[in-house]
Amino acid sequence: MKAIGRSVPKKESFDKVTGVAMYTADKVEARMLHARLALSPYAHARILSVDTSEAKQVQGVKTILTGDVSDVLIGEEIRDRPIIAREKVRYYGEVVAVAVADTEAAAKRAAELIRVEYEPLPVVNSPVDALRQDAPILHDKLGEYENEGRAVPVPGTNIASVNRLRKGDIDKGWKESEMIAENTVWFMPSDHAAMETRSATAEIRPDGYVVIDTSSQVPFTVKKYMANYFGIGSGWIVVQTPLVGGAFGGKSAIFLEPIVYLASKAVGGRKVKIVLTREEDMASAPVRIGLHATVKLGSTLDGYIKAAHITYRFDGGAYNDKSSDVAKAAVIDCSGPYGIPNLACDCFTLYTNHGFAAAFRGYGHSELTFAMERAIDALADKLGMDPWELRFRNAAVPGDTAPTRDLLTPSNLGDIKTCLNRLKILSEWEGWQVRQIDAYRIRAKGISCFWKNSSMDTDASSGAIILFNPDGSINLETGVVEIGTGTKTVLAQILAERMRMSPERIHVKLTVDTRTTPEHWKTVASRGTLLAGRAVLKAADDAIRQLLDIAACVLRADPEDLVLENEKVFVRADPSVNIEVREICYGYVYPNGNAIGGQIIGRGHYIQRRMNPLNPVTGEGTPGPEWNVGAQAVEIEMDTRDCSYRLMKAISVNDAGKVLNPEGARGQVMGAMAMGLSFANREGFDYNEQGMVLNPTLRDFSVLRYDENPSYIVEFIETPCLDAPYGARALGEHGMIGMPAALADALSRAAGVRLNQLPLYPETVWRARMGYSHVFL
Amino acid sequence: MYWSGGTEIITLGRVNLVYTEAVIDLKHIPECRALAVNDQSLIVGSALTLSELYDSRVFPLLGETGSGVADRTSRNKITLGGNICSQFIYKEAVLPLLLTDSDLVIAGPSGARRIPIGQIFNGTLRLGSGEFLVQSVTDSQYLTMPHFSIKKRKVAAIDYPVVTTAAIRTNSGIRLAFSGLCAFPFRSAALERLLNESKLPVAERVGLAASQLPAPILSDMKASAAYREIVWKNVLIDILTTLGE
Repeated sequence: MKAIGRSVPKKESFDKVTGVAMYTADKVEARMLHARLALSPYAHARILSVDTSEAKQVQGVKTILTGDVSDVLIGEEIRDRPIIAREKVRYYGEVVAVAVADTEAAAKRAAELIRVEYEPLPVVNSPVDALRQDAPILHDKLGEYENEGRAVPVPGTNIASVNRLRKGDIDKGWKESEMIAENTVWFMPSDHAAMETRSATAEIRPDGYVVIDTSSQVPFTVKKYMANYFGIGSGWIVVQTPLVGGAFGGKSAIFLEPIVYLASKAVGGRKVKIVLTREEDMASAPVRIGLHATVKLGSTLDGYIKAAHITYRFDGGAYNDKSSDVAKAAVIDCSGPYGIPNLACDCFTLYTNHGFAAAFRGYGHSELTFAMERAIDALADKLGMDPWELRFRNAAVPGDTAPTRDLLTPSNLGDIKTCLNRLKILSEWEGWQVRQIDAYRIRAKGISCFWKNSSMDTDASSGAIILFNPDGSINLETGVVEIGTGTKTVLAQILAERMRMSPERIHVKLTVDTRTTPEHWKTVASRGTLLAGRAVLKAADDAIRQLLDIAACVLRADPEDLVLENEKVFVRADPSVNIEVREICYGYVYPNGNAIGGQIIGRGHYIQRRMNPLNPVTGEGTPGPEWNVGAQAVEIEMDTRDCSYRLMKAISVNDAGKVLNPEGARGQVMGAMAMGLSFANREGFDYNEQGMVLNPTLRDFSVLRYDENPSYIVEFIETPCLDAPYGARALGEHGMIGMPAALADALSRAAGVRLNQLPLYPETVWRARMGYSHVFL
Repeated sequence: MYWSGGTEIITLGRVNLVYTEAVIDLKHIPECRALAVNDQSLIVGSALTLSELYDSRVFPLLGETGSGVADRTSRNKITLGGNICSQFIYKEAVLPLLLTDSDLVIAGPSGARRIPIGQIFNGTLRLGSGEFLVQSVTDSQYLTMPHFSIKKRKVAAIDYPVVTTAAIRTNSGIRLAFSGLCAFPFRSAALERLLNESKLPVAERVGLAASQLPAPILSDMKASAAYREIVWKNVLIDILTTLGE
């Protein structure tokens, strides 16, 4: 009975497909109050006055909160963000007031009646604008903000953080280079567009407990920061998270929790609930980071890259939150999966008058990959070399060093060359790359290659508890939030494999309660199976030891002679001497009534080994455990008259280390590919010249629909990672990373012009062909 | 406010772009739900949904043009009358009625009247106070004429149009109507005269077409005017080639 390598259905699917599954917003209580937001219609303006008198007249209104309610500044790297805007608004959709009422309708009505007088200010509408000498400065108190020490701001500018990385000898690299190629890419922020909009409730109980329910990927981080921000002992904070309806990084930021906490505080601690509308979720809540990047590559004439200089200008939006950390993740892996000996990277995270950026699936990697892969294609063009061949020649291999100077090994680096070889066959790359179908239609292929290390806190850890039931089945509790990835099911498989029993006999707890659930750092970075998986294995070993100990008593045998298999403990050399687990997992009762032992509780935890933070000047450090790799291709068919195109085929070859749940893994990679294509093909906020978002609705912000998907080919190779459970490498984000670059490559080949801007609307392609520039509306 | 499918009232109401304290549901007026065809004419009730019109296949051009609006689930609610009287500028279901010189039956406080569409639809349906659209009446001869309907969007399969074009070939030439091209849906006699100028090559006719438009080409989030024009001209070439001689 193998528990891993089998497509065990997700444990939560039955509740989900029958509509029974409960999300944060589904909880309704009679005494609950409701909050609604008033949002800024300006991207940058001084708040002259806030008049709440009319709003307070609405029947059922309990209170109206404005910026005056709290002077606490929040933020994970730099504490630069008021919970409710004070003095200024810095992005379209920023929260300026909160109405709390008996009913949601009354709260909405009141929020609409809050009159705010603004004095519009000039806006910073792109990261390039943010760096201009005469740019308006968003944060004149940047130098005074509390800083966790990971971001390096430049007071007096719009630079929230500067990161630099240097490896090798860049001057020597340029000297050795016979060909130079330089390429610039850019894209605006976009939305996560998770199916479930963000929601939270807060209650401050008479006994002092602060209870927060939230649709979050990071309940333990919420607990930590709520304690920091408001000076509450962390034991008094209880954060509960049920199933989360898609997150994609957008629910790893702290956003609604402090708002709803202040609201509850203002009404004597009563429970207050807030559920964002889709429009609020898009305009007000954190977004995906934007980027403007230039990559300069130097190579020999036979295509060996000797030097690279990478400059990132990240659009972090109005507040830093996690944007400088996303940017840092892009620095860590800036070379892409290539062994480039001489490397320089300058990275600026900039304040702009756009929504502030949170993590987005890939955490800086589809961003860095788009920049690097487009430059690789530019270099291939200049060299007159097949872009596949150029990638293959430069692919990083064990023995090379990462940009962070970590030594790459067969365990910490996936097998890029095998991925590329499989991609070449699956995409029939050698057959053709571009071909005319008829008078107007062209088909073309594009490829890309990626890697991703995770970039976690050096002390990121995870814990697991397993409890037996009287029937011998096991309850598994971990702090991983079930955001739709099926991680809890995979953890059950990992546990079952170690316990040598069926995963169907493992019951997982799907909800998280920070008071009783062992902490899992954050459900981000595709690291649930590594961190929680290792904790689960340790908990399993703990439980097995206890089972063998009690069985040893009962069977009168040395525990070392005993084996656990199929919910029985038996003597290895004489299986006829055995006992069922269910007879010992709650203690053993002798025929005369005497009893020994008790309910078996296994516990385990895991923390990463020998991580250290980056040196901000050299970029040296060990930010994460392993580089996960893959190679991807996209095939499109374009109408050359209007540049409209169809996605025909998308291919991803990922080094999975070990596939634990084949259908689950395919689903993760395919879903990520669709997300990457959707981002590249159509997802982006449209800003007008005043920085206002023109499309904060799903009417106008389109995401890829089911029947617009291409056919997908997903293939795994398995080069085990020695640290991970059964060798499994990270999977959740990686399918999307190379998709934008591969799509741009294919379209560039079809259109005959190098495309460097996302989204790749047909009109964007057409404008590039015509040589027209971008226009603000 | 009159209520038919309710999709627009609900979706705009929740963002405060529509406000009403009462609605009158038209769906229970039998005339508004009529669908009848004989040798002379086709009667289509205004409260028939776009899905019903598509599925009935009685007026393929109307069914197909309507099927480009929103998605199937929404079209199960969106009605012909609701689409034509929409606050949005597109109103794509009106295009086939313009092409077939249909009559509209309008009812109001002073009773019902029947009026050629050309006299009451000019960018929008010019209803008097308290009036509503009951049905359209279309000459049956049009139902079987060769036709063409195509919607071009920015990128997604479901979106407002960059340009929606409906066309029909009658004995007297090709008729064309457009939505999304300018800030209102229209049919232009001058444009039709030009595009039917069979002495000129198709490319030349299309090249001159922009000069015959009733208003500037729209430039918005869906497409710039320059791109819209390119897309539109390619559609014209396809139509003239498909429906032409």
